[in-house]
Amino acid sequence: MLAAAAAVAVAVPGFLISACSSQSGGGGDTAMQVSPASAEASQTREPSRRDQAVTSTASATTVSHHTSSPRAIQLLAQAAQAAIVTAYQGDEVATHWINGTESVLVSDIWHISGGQTVIQTLDAGTTANRQYLSADNDGQAPEGALGVTLPLVQLMENHYVVAYAGPGSADDRTAQIIEAWRADGSLAARFWLDDTTKLPLEREIYDGSSHIISRDEFVDVQFADQVSVANQADQAARAQARAPAAAQGPWTDPLTPGQLLTLRAAGWHVPAQLPGGLTLFTGAQTTTSTGTVLDLGYSDGLAEVSVFEQRGKLADKLTGWRKTTVGGHQVFVAEPDQRSLTWSTKGMVYTVMADAPSPAVDAAVGALPHDQPPGFWKRMSRGMTRLAALINPFH
Amino acid sequence: MSHLGDRLSALVDGELDGAELDRAHAHLASCEQCRAEAAELRTLKAQLRGLTDGAPAEDAMTRRLIAMTGPGGPLPSRRLQRSARKDSAEKSSARKSAARKNPASRNPGGRQEPAPPGTRRHRLARRRRTLVLSTVTLVVGLGAAAFTIGGGGQAAPGPRITPPVEMYSVEHAIDTGSVPFPAPAGGLDAQSAAP
Repeated sequence: MLAAAAAVAVAVPGFLISACSSQSGGGGDTAMQVSPASAEASQTREPSRRDQAVTSTASATTVSHHTSSPRAIQLLAQAAQAAIVTAYQGDEVATHWINGTESVLVSDIWHISGGQTVIQTLDAGTTANRQYLSADNDGQAPEGALGVTLPLVQLMENHYVVAYAGPGSADDRTAQIIEAWRADGSLAARFWLDDTTKLPLEREIYDGSSHIISRDEFVDVQFADQVSVANQADQAARAQARAPAAAQGPWTDPLTPGQLLTLRAAGWHVPAQLPGGLTLFTGAQTTTSTGTVLDLGYSDGLAEVSVFEQRGKLADKLTGWRKTTVGGHQVFVAEPDQRSLTWSTKGMVYTVMADAPSPAVDAAVGALPHDQPPGFWKRMSRGMTRLAALINPFH
Repeated sequence: MSHLGDRLSALVDGELDGAELDRAHAHLASCEQCRAEAAELRTLKAQLRGLTDGAPAEDAMTRRLIAMTGPGGPLPSRRLQRSARKDSAEKSSARKSAARKNPASRNPGGRQEPAPPGTRRHRLARRRRTLVLSTVTLVVGLGAAAFTIGGGGQAAPGPRITPPVEMYSVEHAIDTGSVPFPAPAGGLDAQSAAP
């Protein structure tokens, strides 16, 4: 059943991708430049045995960086599968750098084989402690770990050159190292997969200038064979009790291309792509107290942008949001993580959540609809009308 | 000895004669004060006589009055007055304050001559400038207010929405195989349904 679910999970976004004009960045005759040291030069980090292993093996794989390695793709696919079927628990430390600002999230994760995950997140630097229960028991919306999901692995194969970089270690466990390279020869990401279970243990993402922009790693991960079954059940029960009551309805299964086209015809904004090679790979809807919300997911395998749309307009007062300008457009950005942006135009509220480099986010925001600033005379005439309405109570 | 008093000016004017003239001269010989006073009166008389010498008294007085008002010609034509009114408010008020400080100074702009303070023409000019300043301020103020109010988006239908970031974050995390990130500090997860 899980295999069937995995097949569906890959096939559905595959239809979406085939309907779009996706760029073919997988091939290329350009020689790849190996620069593992420069990728971490901007951040102070103690060199580990793992880094030395990478350096020593990088030169051996330089010549073959023209097309994705089938072995590397297979390992990543196994990692995505392991994230669903493997029962594990551990602490995940997620560090992100946005515009020079570092934000750290520490999460306790319990994952039960079958797709139920409980995440308890502590925002480093604050006393905020939030718990999330993401339950996908039917496997229709596959989960993953450290950004490794089956649809994203397929997108990665289309947009990057994925290569096997040899053995290494992470979280004091033997690991297999996978690298994703851009067509211009810069290193985009590196994954450490547990040698035994293939679960992703660590992932680093770099921008076009080889600066690290995010690092997600497991600390003290334990697997099912190390945790008794009774303990697992007990943890699941406690997690279920702690989980917050669902405030909104559940999300639908991933929308088919036909359903997305119907939504587009009904006035929803459904672009096939966003700038930077971000392809529409998933969509879902849910119903809230103020109407229907449409969720569209865009990615190139590494950078992910979710666009949430809802008919209406933004509330007058947005606590916790700060007004700013992105790409010449006025939007609100969530504080302090700055990974959510929202604005409203022409009767639709857009909310963008991104795990992507800033230029990609700016370009995505710019590609979505915004209010056009009125011309001078139109603005004057509109202002005069409003002034008259203020003065004349019978207007 | 009593001084000459009124008889001193009569003496200087040559209106005394006979015994009175003798008595006056005898007093002057012994009174230094009256001698000094008589000399002052004679000097003043000579100065006054000098003013009227060579010209009729009326013309001289007119010339002196004109000289006291400073340089400049007769009132300019109405066309020049209109063009002067079109100057910026700041220029006219600056000239006005400069003219107040130094009424006899030359006007470098060569435009409308500032009216002498206290005259009816000055009051009219000041009133005109005030009116222009007020009108310009009102127009500029209205325009700025209209421009400011006219900005922003047009009113749109639909409910007022506060994005439920926590819910979105969980869905984003599922799609991307990552960890949800916290909602905005102090933000509400519930949506407001105010129309």
